[in-house]
Amino acid sequence: MKRLAIFIVLGILCFNANAQKYMTKSGYIGFFSHTPLEDIKADNNQVASVLDASSGELVFQVLIKSFHFTKALMETHFNESFLESEKYPKATFTGKITNIPEVKLSEKGTYDATVEGDLTIHNVTRKLSAKGTVEVLQDGINANSKFTLQPEDFNITIPAVVRNNIAKTIEVTVIMKYAAVGK
Amino acid sequence: MRLLENKRCCISPEHVRNFKLPLGYADKGILSCKKMKPSVKISILVAWLMGLVGLFIGLYMYNLEAEDLQKEKPEFVITAAGLQKAFEDNEAAANTKYSDKIIEVSGIIESVKPGEDEAVSITLKTESPLSAVICTFQSGTAPAVFKIGDQITVRGKYSGFLMDILLNNCVVVK
Repeated sequence: MKRLAIFIVLGILCFNANAQKYMTKSGYIGFFSHTPLEDIKADNNQVASVLDASSGELVFQVLIKSFHFTKALMETHFNESFLESEKYPKATFTGKITNIPEVKLSEKGTYDATVEGDLTIHNVTRKLSAKGTVEVLQDGINANSKFTLQPEDFNITIPAVVRNNIAKTIEVTVIMKYAAVGK
Repeated sequence: MRLLENKRCCISPEHVRNFKLPLGYADKGILSCKKMKPSVKISILVAWLMGLVGLFIGLYMYNLEAEDLQKEKPEFVITAAGLQKAFEDNEAAANTKYSDKIIEVSGIIESVKPGEDEAVSITLKTESPLSAVICTFQSGTAPAVFKIGDQITVRGKYSGFLMDILLNNCVVVK
């Protein structure tokens, strides 16, 4: 009976070691819009994200109001008219690293990863597939990705006055520095 | 010179005299050297001024940078623990109360992260192990200012609540 209890405890411990979770509350997501008229850049250093190393599942949460622009008016337009951050304060992504056998999250090294999942912005959910790199370190995981989005896909209407100042395709940069949870 | 002054008129009696134009011009009523009414003049001037003022306001607004909270007065002064407690008690109410408000928060620095784009973030300790106050500073704030364990007072704009209370555009008060 004692032995069984030890086995169970060991089993749980092993399971826990496998189900290692990584987290960050200060990840970075930025976007960039280029038009001949104007380059617009916004940064957000308050992205919360959890990565499950055993399944490769990923969750991102970000506040629209945490995006910071160089010009105050852009930030106002972005929040009030484009993304309506009062009504829809968050953007979320839930997905998975699809090539998890190749991406060994328990072994140190740098891997190319593909992530697929659902991205919700402005209350509209779209499938997203993005490529990135994952770097497994001693005490954490760094993950980077770059992909493009179209504001149109998320029911974001841009008024005619500034339509030429904002690109049809927005480049998104994701830089995450995960730390192991409970280590 | 006189010709320039009279540019707005068609043909003045002076023209007829000076340039020896056929007298017929004067007879045919082309001689209509009306001066612009003062009221018309003023309204044109006002329209121009309004346009200029509009242009300057537009340019000013367009170039306006994010507000410097060092110059703004906080709407709430609270400790990090107190702020977290408010969210734990009633997240929705606290979220409405602090929405877009400038909050001055004091607490002990738990962690410092350099962040991308030189936007340093610090975490202030609360009584909860799961939820803290995260303040992200204006870019260009040196991370060396912050030491883990130090007591600090910062001023920032409330952006919202994920797992933590998020403040943006922060400045160090004390």
